[in-house]
Amino acid sequence: MAELMQDRVEKLKDLDVFVYHGKIYIPNTYTAGAVGSRFLIEIRDNKKIMGTRCSTCDVVYVPARSVCKHCFSQLDKWVEVSDKGTLLTYTVAGQSNGVQPVDPPIIYGIVQLDGASTGMVHMLSEVDFEKLAIGMRVRAVFAEKRVGSILDIKYFAPL
Amino acid sequence: MTTEKKAEKKPEYIKVEIARPRAYKWSSGKYLGKLYKEALENRKLVTNRCPKCKQLLWPPAGVCGRCNVEAGEDWVVMSGEGTVLQYTYLVFPLWDPHYGDRLANPYPTATIKLDDGVFLVHFLEEKDPEKLKNVKRVQAVWKEEGRGRGLGDILYFRTIDE
Amino acid sequence: MGNRVAIVGIGQTYHKSNRKDVTQPEMVAEAVRAALTDAQMKPKDVEAVFTSNMETFEGMYLPDHMMVDEVGAFMKPGLKVNTGGTTGASVVEEGFHFVASGLFDTALVIGFEKQDCGDTTAAITAAVTPVWGKGVATGAIGEFAKQALTYMQKTGAKEEHAAMIRLKADKGACKNPYAHLKLGLKSIEEVLNSGYLVWPLRLLDFCPQSVGACALILASEHKAKKITKKPVWIADVVTVHQEPFRAGSFGDPTGTEEYSQDIAAERLYKRNGITNPTKDICMAEIYEPSNWEEMSHYEHYHFCEKNEGWKMVEKGITEMEGAFPVNPSGGVIATNPIGATPTIRVAEAALQVRGDAGEHQVTRDVHTAMATALGGPNWTVVTLLKRSL
Repeated sequence: MAELMQDRVEKLKDLDVFVYHGKIYIPNTYTAGAVGSRFLIEIRDNKKIMGTRCSTCDVVYVPARSVCKHCFSQLDKWVEVSDKGTLLTYTVAGQSNGVQPVDPPIIYGIVQLDGASTGMVHMLSEVDFEKLAIGMRVRAVFAEKRVGSILDIKYFAPL
Repeated sequence: MTTEKKAEKKPEYIKVEIARPRAYKWSSGKYLGKLYKEALENRKLVTNRCPKCKQLLWPPAGVCGRCNVEAGEDWVVMSGEGTVLQYTYLVFPLWDPHYGDRLANPYPTATIKLDDGVFLVHFLEEKDPEKLKNVKRVQAVWKEEGRGRGLGDILYFRTIDE
Repeated sequence: MGNRVAIVGIGQTYHKSNRKDVTQPEMVAEAVRAALTDAQMKPKDVEAVFTSNMETFEGMYLPDHMMVDEVGAFMKPGLKVNTGGTTGASVVEEGFHFVASGLFDTALVIGFEKQDCGDTTAAITAAVTPVWGKGVATGAIGEFAKQALTYMQKTGAKEEHAAMIRLKADKGACKNPYAHLKLGLKSIEEVLNSGYLVWPLRLLDFCPQSVGACALILASEHKAKKITKKPVWIADVVTVHQEPFRAGSFGDPTGTEEYSQDIAAERLYKRNGITNPTKDICMAEIYEPSNWEEMSHYEHYHFCEKNEGWKMVEKGITEMEGAFPVNPSGGVIATNPIGATPTIRVAEAALQVRGDAGEHQVTRDVHTAMATALGGPNWTVVTLLKRSL
């Protein structure tokens, strides 16, 4: 095998390699759907964080989902959960990658709101890095101008 | 099975639109590298030949998929002249997904058989739908300045007399 | 050969140009629920889930991971397949192989595409290697246009024949509750008066971009007989590949190339003892992105002699009431959610075998049916379905 590879390298050594720099332009749309839209609209219009509840499995999904992953029920029971919750885990991103919503360093965390069974990914702010801890109590801070995006929750801050 | 429900009040649905060209790099490898280099530096179309079936591989490749053998360094410089086998012209606007530009509209493209026997798809200089019907023999016209885009360094194929 | 495999559940969504009311996974869930209802099964009865779509078309990386909950795949095995235009047939083949092997007794196979979320032509064009540069920046449609011109010149078919195909397709689509475009066309003039999209293809000569999904439940012989009284047996699946762009991506203006359709059909017929395709097989659901393509495929699948596809149209042989009906569902030209399109071909052929196609059930008794798929660089998948094995 090694000999074969060596043979190939030898044979091709006079040929140039070439790297083509291109761009792919494919416009895309993401549709939030009926359930996702209602979740975002409640935050935008009423600063309310809503989840969907599966009564069979006793699970509240936040962000709201249309199907229970455990029993495949279609979920249509909406419940409001608290804007306060518990930090399940976190990390700190120090490098910029061009698609982040704010400049680094960014604290990403998974927050389980009171009344929800699931955690949701968001950012934390107004917090000392030294005081960051799993189990920390946090509250949602809503953006002044809300447009129907998950960033209508600006970040979570310590209680 | 599901059927469409008529909504009583038109509900609001949220959507997110993403329109960002994504940059990518594509490594040509050694065989295609030769095609790009010759096109850029010498304005020549080159390809290699299968050692077994003796057919031209196109574009240049390290293997002949039909014979399942490794192709070698039997390089051929092709003429750049050929015959239009079939053509069409686009009437609807299209993005050029390689560079993110809007393409001129309408524009003709053709399947061309080069005299050396290989096929390629490219633009034609002739844009008049009536005159397109009579386009047979064509010749590659290279761009004034090559940009290392391989066949993209050819501007279009120009009609030549038989 | 492996164990016998049957289709025991069939489900599809209705099709539209836009579905803002659902996410991609929620849309797929509609087809899955429909298939489960059809089979009278619960998600827990399904052992493995296989999905397929064109992935980059909607800019959604790993869509199969995103939709685990919505398709009932939570904590189950399964794979996603993408083979280009043929993908919705490849996923049926994948499920067929897994169940035939005895590894699973039941499998859910799904094809889907939410085309309102992407730009299909841009995606197809971006999918080719940069070697060809701007030269092929016509998406699939430019290739089909050239092929139509070749077909016209080679066989003497007229634009009127293509228009007849469109009329036939629309008649079927209007009777199919799940079809996308139901135009209610009255005459071939309406087709001939539609504007050019890519010359010589007119707007009504080409398929739409649809949003939708199709799901099938496959089961092994002993399970199938417990689940349904009307199993549709998958007798055989044949896939044939061809290298791309040797002479254009679809068709062959040089007249020297072998077609993957010919090879696939010959292999399928030989393996299954079919000597007279239009007699031994009762109907076909074929993948025809354009009406011209349908005529060409009649020939390549050996439904008629070479260069005589248009004569089948002229004689009305492939109409719903004809001797060999083709695409009574309205076909791809009426409904094209790409990743789901070949799955729908199998689903519609299976409905015909079951006699459950409703208003678009063909006149001829269907004990054997064929479904085909066409993909990118001239790939072909053909599926043979039977009422009894």
